[in-house]
Amino acid sequence: MLDNIAGPDDSAFTSPAALNDINNWVPHDIVMRDAWFPLAHSAAVGKKPVRRSVYSVPYFLWREDGKAVAASVLPGAGALPETGLTDAAGRYPVMEHYGYVWCWYGNPLAADPLHLPSIPYLPPNGGLPGYLTGTVRFDCAAPVSLENLIDLTHADFLHANVVGDEKSESETVEVFSDSETVTMVRTCIGKSVAPVMKFFSGIRQPTQQVRQVIRIYLRSHAAIAYGRFTPGDDVPLFHPCVPETRDRTRLDYTMNTSNAGLLFRHVMPKASYIVSRQDSSMTSPQSPRYMHESKRRDLHSKFDVAGQRYRLLMKNLVARQAAGDFSYRDNVSADCSDLIGLRKELFRY
Amino acid sequence: MQNQKQTTHSNSASWWAVARSEEVTSKKPLSSDIGNQELVIWRDAAGIARAMEDRCPHRRAPLSRGCVRENGLIQCGYHGWSFDGETGRLREIPNMKSEQRFPPLYKAQSFAVAESGGFVRVCLTPGAEAPAVDAASLPLYGTAHVGLAQEHYLSTFFDDPGMLFGIKGVEFTPYLASDLKAEAGRLVMERNCQWRGLHWPSSFSSEFPISLLSKTDPLTGETELTLRDDALRTLLTAVIAPVPAARGSTAIRWRARLAKTLNGLRAKQLLIGAPFRVFDTIDAAALRRLTPSASVQWQDLRAAIIQTSQASAA
Repeated sequence: MLDNIAGPDDSAFTSPAALNDINNWVPHDIVMRDAWFPLAHSAAVGKKPVRRSVYSVPYFLWREDGKAVAASVLPGAGALPETGLTDAAGRYPVMEHYGYVWCWYGNPLAADPLHLPSIPYLPPNGGLPGYLTGTVRFDCAAPVSLENLIDLTHADFLHANVVGDEKSESETVEVFSDSETVTMVRTCIGKSVAPVMKFFSGIRQPTQQVRQVIRIYLRSHAAIAYGRFTPGDDVPLFHPCVPETRDRTRLDYTMNTSNAGLLFRHVMPKASYIVSRQDSSMTSPQSPRYMHESKRRDLHSKFDVAGQRYRLLMKNLVARQAAGDFSYRDNVSADCSDLIGLRKELFRY
Repeated sequence: MQNQKQTTHSNSASWWAVARSEEVTSKKPLSSDIGNQELVIWRDAAGIARAMEDRCPHRRAPLSRGCVRENGLIQCGYHGWSFDGETGRLREIPNMKSEQRFPPLYKAQSFAVAESGGFVRVCLTPGAEAPAVDAASLPLYGTAHVGLAQEHYLSTFFDDPGMLFGIKGVEFTPYLASDLKAEAGRLVMERNCQWRGLHWPSSFSSEFPISLLSKTDPLTGETELTLRDDALRTLLTAVIAPVPAARGSTAIRWRARLAKTLNGLRAKQLLIGAPFRVFDTIDAAALRRLTPSASVQWQDLRAAIIQTSQASAA
């Protein structure tokens, strides 16, 4: 049962005009500039170049004297094409943080570490063991994948065998946002215990208290998914959805379960391989249906408030960028530990 | 509907690959078609490929059932009327002796022919500019026919090429390295691929060792394919030319060539057996289930390229 869906500024998102707009969106057309994208786990980048792309624009990543660099062509391939996305040396702005190589997509002069999303449960200098990381891919547009993530009602059905069903004594959802982020906090009391915790964390109680937070950094198409389960373990997932093309998404995830018990710590990050396929079974056929404007607008219920707000914020940002305004009006690198309710004692970095 | 298709094909100044060069000889006329336009193709005495409607204007018999004479004229097998392939004009009627002069009306419809790159191409529009000459003739070749309209053949190609053709040891993944886009008047996209065998499923793969770059002509669907490794070295080049044929079927003529140098054991396996083949059959059940993806953009991009091309021509 959903007791409350609330946010501090809901009226701006529920006007008929806003709803009309967001129920007919075309995520395929979204190209977000001036953002850091986590293109690779740090461990994946070595002397031999690896290939990535953002909106079909090629990025080749490799290390020179241990430092990660990125260019639009392979090293030694000759003249570097002028794309407006690289600096005078023909390189993309690159920074390494949280165990990722982040590359800037947009005006290279605007690249600033200040615009790097805050992910408080990942060590700033990386170094987490490889079993906490992985790569999955979705054949859908990145915004479709992120909307799926922030949609609170689908998980209870599509992923019931992993995260548990929809049964709970009470459920509260809050949505917060600024111009660069949207955060959904879902609090459940007396929720059915997730099967993965029954089997691998040894939870014997019939129900548990759950606090799940999804925080999306709009421009970077990257999300924090932080779950606190009592009794149970924390599940802190970094879920970046890199739009390699407009309709294909790469997810180099990190699930920092390093504080959990031995079995759960190793098994839970692998659940992504199951969950991602379940998601893909829906998002893959969805995506082509969002490539063009449609006369038939999407329907929505009160349970979709987080996704609806995500759509509107994205549309606002796209409109601003279309008008030539690429500035950040809010600080995405500010520590969001308190907002997501992080158990800071577990993640001291 | 069929008539509309025919009109579309004949109105566009497209050069359709109606035959491979090897197929066209001065020994025997070849029957081909573009949509509902039946064609007869042969080589004249100078070895030049000629194309005409496959219909004798005398009694409508198929000229392809006739023969090519030593002087390069095509002769109808019904009453022996002979036509000049360049102009389509009637040149001889048996037993007419010295009265072999005929009014201009006595002619069959001839079509412009251009031959290069191992393909014989025909344009149904009079006066169309000849296509650029492709000097490279790829040594491997074949022809396949499928019971699928060319438009659907192309949309299937954009969504899952593995349903249409195979490259030895290569698996096509759903993951594109670049979206379908318009580039230099063609539809261009790049698809990530894997070597067949033990590997992570493509949906969980961090890196892809090979990719398939495709460049498609928006009018004819003729597509140049380049298989490359992760160092962007070419492993295989191919051209497939899907031409609309009668009754909604499609004739696919193709040519291919392996790179002179193949690096790595997996790439060298391309040398064993046939490295490239176009399928004659398509799994209709799988086709029905195939999720539209890149193909959703295809027609819009195609229209935009054609519009731009026409605007610049004007």
